[in-house]
Amino acid sequence: MAEGGSKRINVVVKTPKDKKTVEVDEDSGIKDFKVLVAQKFEAEPEQLVLIFAGKIMKDTDTLKMHNIKDQLTVHLVIKSVTRNNEAPARAPADVRQTPFGLNQFGGLAGMEALGAGSNTFMDLQARMQNELLNNGDMLRSLMDNPLVQQMMNNPDTMRQLITSNPQMQDLMQRNPEITHMLNNPDLLRQTMELARNPSMLQELMRSHDRAMSNLESVPGGYSALQRIYRDIQEPMMNAATESFGRNPFAGLVEGGGGGSGGGVAGVNPQQGTENRNPLPNPWGGSGGGTASGNGTNSSTNGPTGQANRTGDQPPNNVLNTPAMRSLLQQMADNPTMMQNLLNAPYTRSMMDSMSQDPDMASRLLSSSPLLSNNPALQEQVRQMMPQFMAQMQNPEVMNMLTNPDAMNAILQIQQGMEQLRSAAPGLVGTMGIPPPPPGINTDPASGDGGLNSRTAPTNTNNSSVPNAGNNSVNAPAPALAPGGGPNAQLFNDFMTRMLNGMSTNADSSQPPEVRYQSQLEQLAAMGFGNREANLQALIATFGDINAAVERLLAVNQLSLS
Amino acid sequence: MSEQQASLLLRRQLTELHRNPVEGFSAGLINDADIFKWEVVIIGPADTLYEGGCFKAHLIFPKEYPLRPPYMKFVTEIWHPNIDKSGDVCISILHEPGDDKWGYEKAEERWLPVHTVETILLSVISMLTDPNSESAANVDAAKEYREDHAEFKRKVARCVRRSQEEV
Repeated sequence: MAEGGSKRINVVVKTPKDKKTVEVDEDSGIKDFKVLVAQKFEAEPEQLVLIFAGKIMKDTDTLKMHNIKDQLTVHLVIKSVTRNNEAPARAPADVRQTPFGLNQFGGLAGMEALGAGSNTFMDLQARMQNELLNNGDMLRSLMDNPLVQQMMNNPDTMRQLITSNPQMQDLMQRNPEITHMLNNPDLLRQTMELARNPSMLQELMRSHDRAMSNLESVPGGYSALQRIYRDIQEPMMNAATESFGRNPFAGLVEGGGGGSGGGVAGVNPQQGTENRNPLPNPWGGSGGGTASGNGTNSSTNGPTGQANRTGDQPPNNVLNTPAMRSLLQQMADNPTMMQNLLNAPYTRSMMDSMSQDPDMASRLLSSSPLLSNNPALQEQVRQMMPQFMAQMQNPEVMNMLTNPDAMNAILQIQQGMEQLRSAAPGLVGTMGIPPPPPGINTDPASGDGGLNSRTAPTNTNNSSVPNAGNNSVNAPAPALAPGGGPNAQLFNDFMTRMLNGMSTNADSSQPPEVRYQSQLEQLAAMGFGNREANLQALIATFGDINAAVERLLAVNQLSLS
Repeated sequence: MSEQQASLLLRRQLTELHRNPVEGFSAGLINDADIFKWEVVIIGPADTLYEGGCFKAHLIFPKEYPLRPPYMKFVTEIWHPNIDKSGDVCISILHEPGDDKWGYEKAEERWLPVHTVETILLSVISMLTDPNSESAANVDAAKEYREDHAEFKRKVARCVRRSQEEV
């Protein structure tokens, strides 16, 4: 090693697993450098491959030739001398071998979208929630479900979703008929319709075996069925005590059989009449299937309430259902899940379409089982709608929903209210009228008062049709009824204050400039010079830089060209 | 976006990658005078068949970057379902922006101006880890990957060995 006048430098040497600093003379040749590195990494110099700036450094080069200076990082790959460890510890994950384990999200959601109408779907979901408390993985797919509901109204999105499932791709590749089925929106709609309609389902059950054998005879169909059964249906069936005909895959099987066997019309005697109905509304437990329709009260509130309505929906309906409680719990336990959910493009598009299309919102309202008997209530909720949407667009609210602490706080308050009600029912009633809630929630709060007095009678009427689902949902309602109005208002007040508090907190500690700092820098680096516009775009897109760029580009299109 | 902006953006990325190299690859220019032509070495990710490989690739950026994607080509021979036999990489984020006319890829899976050398190479590395045999560029490799995994492994091991010997 040539000592003397030349400088010593420290070079960081990095392998995929390790990182060490090597001191070397800056005039060294690569060969000498390798000797030093080899000592540090306990390897032979011949085993080393040094890479810098996209170039593999040769033994005959020098550090200077590669312009290596103090504190720069060089990548190192250590070749194994004997090639006996060629086989890696673990082969790359094989999608085909773990069909749904890998892609549980796409897999499960896709399958549900395929066959599940609102009844089956909601009912299953309600039951699954209990099961899911113990099962984190399935929980994630459950959380994705409200998005699926939106997709069910859109054959295009549905097709995308289905085709994004590797198993479906596989199946489609082998079976052009199924591709055809998926490319035909009418057929898809019919399939959904099938699953939604109880009488059709019965028909389905009868022809189920035949359809099964049809699908089995399609090459590859049988193994696909087997996989579906193993990975989804079993856990689902464990969760759902429904009859086989209610399972969402019945729709798939029938659809597949119809597609290849020639004509869904043959198996679907009610086709003409039923198709005139609007598409299955994700939030509505439709008139058919009374048991599950009523039973879904809790679950309808669950999935929709979780993301969208925590702050706004009548609290005694949403927050006091067992489903909602467990959801809150889960949300508090798993902030990333919420984040995923809220960041999903579908959520955003769903909210966008809701905010842009008042019709959709009101359709949704009028078909909700909660509101369907009560036009006055519908009206009130409809008036609340713009505010609700505005609130959902508010980054602070989004922030709150993704903040585990905030979720915990909501959960605690909710539990506290429950306790208070059971410990001192009189107190809640005599609380009197709390001060009018400030700010955004004024309307919802006043809406709640009316709402409760109206829902109470509805509930008692319903209870004359006894069934398990109905009772469990309505049980808290009678106890609540006397103090319902003030109670709800009180709760809403809590929520408002909490929201306000949180939003101001978030404001002072983290203004958008700070929160979106890295995104702002990225935008600036990409040449978007207008910081204010960048910030606006980021706020509007909740910090999603892709969306922000698209937004900015759309706005700037004229000035660019 | 003008050419100056493109070169500024690339220059900035190069400096940043120089200063804080990212796990799994090393990036530089083929010729220091041309900021649009990059040379990278991708280090085969640990615990995959490609572990230990040093795969050279070129990234050629268009003047319209970042509005249009770069072209990426492996210079080192590599056996992989999504890299064709001439080294061209088939990965959705490198496809021209907009909707796929065959409806196979969503717009957001294709090129977006937010992608940088880093995000591209990380995608390629994850592709090495997890080949997608459904959209194959090298049909033979994809078939082997699905049906004859032992042979696939053998070929990958050979190209890993060769990549090290090229040094």
